Amino acid sequence: MNNFKFWKLSIKELRGSFNEFKIVITSIFLGIFIISAVGSLSENLKFEINNQRSQLLGGSFELSTTYQKFPQKIKKWLEVNGKVAEVIELRTMLSSNKNLINKRRLVELKAVDENWPLIGSVSITPNQTLNQTINNTNVNGVLIDKNVKNQLSLDLGDTLDLGDSRIVIKGIIKKEPDRMFSFATFGSRVLLSIKTLQKTNLIVPGSLVKYKIKFIPNKNNINLSYLNKLVEGTNITVRGVNSSTNNFNNFIERTSLFISMVGLITLLISGIGISNGVKGYIIKKIKNIAILKSLGAKNMQVFLIYLFQVMVIFLLSIIPALLAGISIPFILSPIISSELFDTFQATIFLKPIIISFSFGLIVCLLFTIIPISSTYEIKPIQLIRHAAHNIHNESSKKIKIFIFFLICFLSYLIVIMTNDIKLSAYIFTSIFVSFMILSTLTNIYFYILKKINFKIGSLSEFVRKSIISKNSFSKTIVVSFSIGLSLLISLNIIEESLDNKISKTINQEAPNHFLIDIQPNQIDTINKLASSSKDILFLNSQPMLRGRITEINDIKVENLKVNKDVEWVLKRDRAFSWTNERPKNSKLISGEWWKKDYNGPLLVSMGDKIAKGMNVKIGDNIRFNILGRNFEATIYNTREIIWENMNINFIFVLSESSLTNAPHTWIASTTSENKEINNNFVEKVVTTFSNISSISIEESYKAIKSILNLLIIIINSIALITLLSGVIVLTGILDVSKKDKLYEIAIFKILGASPKKISLLWLYEYLIIGLMASLISLLIGCLVSFILLYFVFNVDFYVNYLTLIILSFIVPIVITVFSFFKMIKLVLSKPLQVLRAHNH
Amino acid sequence: MNNNSKKHIIELENVHVSLKNNVETVNILKGINLKILKDNSISVIGESGAGKSTLAMTIAGLELISKGKIFFKGVAIHDLEEDELANYRSKNVGIIFQSFNLLPSMTALENVNLPNQISGVLIDDKKGIELLKSVGLKKRLNHYPHQLSGGEQQRVAIARSLISSPEIIIADEPTGNLDKRNSEEVMKLIFKLQSDFASTLILVTHDETIAKQCNKIIKLDNGLIVKDE
Repeated sequence: MNNFKFWKLSIKELRGSFNEFKIVITSIFLGIFIISAVGSLSENLKFEINNQRSQLLGGSFELSTTYQKFPQKIKKWLEVNGKVAEVIELRTMLSSNKNLINKRRLVELKAVDENWPLIGSVSITPNQTLNQTINNTNVNGVLIDKNVKNQLSLDLGDTLDLGDSRIVIKGIIKKEPDRMFSFATFGSRVLLSIKTLQKTNLIVPGSLVKYKIKFIPNKNNINLSYLNKLVEGTNITVRGVNSSTNNFNNFIERTSLFISMVGLITLLISGIGISNGVKGYIIKKIKNIAILKSLGAKNMQVFLIYLFQVMVIFLLSIIPALLAGISIPFILSPIISSELFDTFQATIFLKPIIISFSFGLIVCLLFTIIPISSTYEIKPIQLIRHAAHNIHNESSKKIKIFIFFLICFLSYLIVIMTNDIKLSAYIFTSIFVSFMILSTLTNIYFYILKKINFKIGSLSEFVRKSIISKNSFSKTIVVSFSIGLSLLISLNIIEESLDNKISKTINQEAPNHFLIDIQPNQIDTINKLASSSKDILFLNSQPMLRGRITEINDIKVENLKVNKDVEWVLKRDRAFSWTNERPKNSKLISGEWWKKDYNGPLLVSMGDKIAKGMNVKIGDNIRFNILGRNFEATIYNTREIIWENMNINFIFVLSESSLTNAPHTWIASTTSENKEINNNFVEKVVTTFSNISSISIEESYKAIKSILNLLIIIINSIALITLLSGVIVLTGILDVSKKDKLYEIAIFKILGASPKKISLLWLYEYLIIGLMASLISLLIGCLVSFILLYFVFNVDFYVNYLTLIILSFIVPIVITVFSFFKMIKLVLSKPLQVLRAHNH
Repeated sequence: MNNNSKKHIIELENVHVSLKNNVETVNILKGINLKILKDNSISVIGESGAGKSTLAMTIAGLELISKGKIFFKGVAIHDLEEDELANYRSKNVGIIFQSFNLLPSMTALENVNLPNQISGVLIDDKKGIELLKSVGLKKRLNHYPHQLSGGEQQRVAIARSLISSPEIIIADEPTGNLDKRNSEEVMKLIFKLQSDFASTLILVTHDETIAKQCNKIIKLDNGLIVKDE
C-alpha cells in the first residue's frame, strides 16, 4: 500500500455526501449525549460530595446509638478530645388543630444542641439564625420542612402541641447541612433544640430514639479504628466520612448506572439506524467504489476509504454530543447549588468523556463494519453490468474476528461502567437474549409470510410480496420498533400487576393502621379499648426492641459468608419480638413452636428464607446484642414470612425470658372492615397517648405508589426514547429506499395506477409491518413481564386488556402515518421525469 | 508460455466467460483465442451482446474468466488474486468507459491523479496538469464533472487513463455517449496519445469507420471471433 494516503482520498470522496449521514449523526448523538451527560453529572456530584463530606456528615465522625444515651465516660472523652455536637432523632406525630380541622402527620424530629452544626450552616426562610429560632428556649421554637407546612396547613408563628409541650413554628428549613447522609425514611423534618425536646416528655424508656454525636477530633491520630476501640463493648456505631461517602456514592453510581444503561440501549438501538444509514450510503456509492477498483484500488484500500469516512462522521456527531453532555452539570449548576451544595462548581471530568467516546466508537464500528465490509463484494465490472442494489453481507473471517473483539471490548466497557462483573454479565446476557428472541420471532413471522399465499393480483398478495422482497427493509423496521414497544408493554403489565397486587393486599389482607412506640404500661388499656369497640376490630400487638446480631455459631458477623440478598439483616439494628404463643397465621416451615410455659434457655424462630440465605438451620446458635447486653439463642424453628401482606412480620421471634423486663415498646396493627370505626379507634389512641404514632397503610401505599409512579415514568421515558430510535431508523430506511420507491411509483403510474391506489398500497404495507411489530412486542412483552413477575416480584400476572390494545396500536399508527407523510411527495411525483432521471 | 510472448503483449487461449443467474448460465465468451502485438491498436467490433465489452474487461482483469488462459507479457493473469489484479490494472492498464465514470466529488485534476494516488506514487500535480493540457482542458483543471460537457468529461477520462503511463489502453465505446463532432475529436485524441505514449490500444466500438483506423480488427459474434483481419 506504499505511499497510499487513503484519508486524503477519503475526504475528497466524502465531499457533498454529508446529507446522507443525517440519521447516522442523529443516532450517535442521542445515545452519546445521554451517557456523557449522566456520567459527567454523577462525577461532578461525587466530586462535590468528596469535597464536602465532612459537612455532609456533620463532622469528621458520627457516633450513634439507639435507645440508650451515650455513656457519660465516652461523651466526656469526646468533649475533651475535640469539638462535639449532640443530635437526637425520633419519629412522632405532629398534630394541628388549625381552624378546628384536626390534621396529623408522622414527622422526623431532630433535636440539636447549641454546638450544632459543627460544619456548615442551616438555611432558614425567612432569613434567621438558630439562636433566633430553635435555641431561643423561652418560646419553644421549631423549624419545619415545607412539606409539613403544606400538609398541616401551617403558617409561621402558629402554635401546636408536641407531646406535653406547645411549640411555635419559627421558620422553614431551606437547607440542612448534614441531612443528605441521614436518609430520613418516614415523614418530614421538624428541627428543634434538645432543651425543647426534653420539655415534650416524648422520650420514655424503650422509645425508638437515635442518639448521635458529631465529632471533630483535636488530634490527627484519632481515627476510625481508634474510636471503634473506644466504643468496644457498647452499642455505639461509628461512621467516618469515608464510609458515609461510599454509601452515598454507591447510591449515585447505581442511579447513574441505570440511566447510562438507557443511553447504551438507545445507542444499541440507534446502531440499527447507523447500520442502515451506512448501508444506504454504500449502496449509493457502488458506482464510485467500482470506479476506484477499476483504477486499481485494492479491496482493503476501498474498505479503509469508507471506514475513514464513517469515522469522520462519527467524530462530527460525537463531538457535539460530548460537548452537550459535559455542559449538563454547568447548566444544572444553579439548581444543584440551591438544592444540594452551597458552593457547587461544575467541572469537566475525563472519565465520562472517555467512556462515552469508547461506547460510541465501539457501537459505531460494530454496526458499520458489516455494511462497510460489503465494499469487498462490489466488483468493478458493475460499471458495465448493473448488479442488484442489495449487496450481500457475508462477512469474511477477519471481519467476524474483528466483530468478536469489538463485542469483547463492549463487554469490558460495561464491566468498567458497572464495576460489577455479575451485573455486567446479566446486562450483556439480557441484551443478547432479547436480541436473539426478537430476531427469532421476526424470522418466524417472515417465514410464515413467505409460505402463505393470497389470491394472485389481490392487494394482500401484492403487499405480502413487497414486504418479503429481497430489497425490503421491513425486517429492520419490525426489529427496531419491537424493542421499544416490548419494553413499553412489559412495563405496563408489571405496573398493572403490582398495582393490582397492592390494591388487593390493601383491601383484603393488610391492616389499616400501625400503632408504634406503645409503652408497655399502655398496651393493656389499648387492648381494652379495642375489645370494647362495638364493631369488629382486630388488634394485633407484639412487644418489640432492637438489637444486632453479633455472632452466628461463634463466628463474628464480619467474618460470615452469607448470600447477598440477606446481607442487610446483619448490617444494622433489627427489631426483635418475643412470645411463647405461636403468632396467629404464621406458617412453620421447619421445626415446631416451643411450649407455652417454656422457661428454659433462649430459643428463636427465624424467617425461613433469611435462615437459608444465612446458611443456618435448627440447632444453630445466634448471638445478639440488645441494649448493650449479649444474648445467645438457639434456632428452634423457621417460619414463612410474607412481606407482601404488610402485617407485623418479625424476622426474629424469641422465647419469653428475662429479656421481657428490658425497656421495650409495643407495636400494634389494627384491622377493621369499617374504615370509620378503625379511624376513630386510632384517633382515640393517639389523643389519649401522645407518645404513640400511627401510620396509615393507605397513606403509606400512596407514598410508595408515588415513588413507584416516578420510577414508572422514568422507565416509560426510556421506552419512549427507544421508540424514538425506531422512528429514526424508519426515517433512515425511507431515505435509503426513496429512489427505488420513486421509480416503483413511476412505473405504477405509467401502468395506470392512480395516486389514491398507490397511497392505499403504501398504507396497507406499512400497517402490516407495524402490526407485525406489535404482535412480536406483545409476545415478548407478555413473556418478559411474566418471567419478572413470577420469578422476581412473586406477583400474579395481571393484564389490563384495554391499555394493552391501545399500546399495540401505537406502533402501526406511528409507522403508517409517519412513513406516509414522509413519502407523500413521491406519490405526487411526475412519472416521466422520474424515469428519465433514473435512466441517466 | 508462448514463444512469441515478447512481441505479444496480450495472449488469450480458449477464453470462456459464463455468467450465472438464478435461472440459467449465460455463456458470453465461448472460446476466444487472440494475440495482441505490443504498441498496436486493435478494434473489437460486433453486434450488441456479442461479447465485445466482456472481452475488453477480461483483458483489463475486471471480468473473471470461467475457462482458458490470459497472459500479459507472459504472466498468467487468469491466476492472479483480486488484489494482484488490482495491482496489474493500476500499473499496466488505462481504461476509458463509454459513460466516463468520473468521481463526481472530485475535480478534473483530482480525477486524473486518482490512479497514481491509489498506487501511492502521486508526488505532485505536474503530470496531471500536463495531461489535461494535452487533451485541451487547461482551463478546466478545477472543474467538477457536473460542470463539464460530455466531450470534456471523456477527455478527462482519457487523461486519467494515461496518468500511470500504462502499456495497454482499453477504450470501451468511448464515443458512445457523444455527438459526431465530439466523437471525432475524442478519437483523434485517443489515437494521438496512444502513439505518443507508445501504448497498445484495445478499442471496443460498433462504428466500423473508427475501427478501420486501428492496426487490426476483430469481429465477435455470439461470443466467438468470426473475423480477424
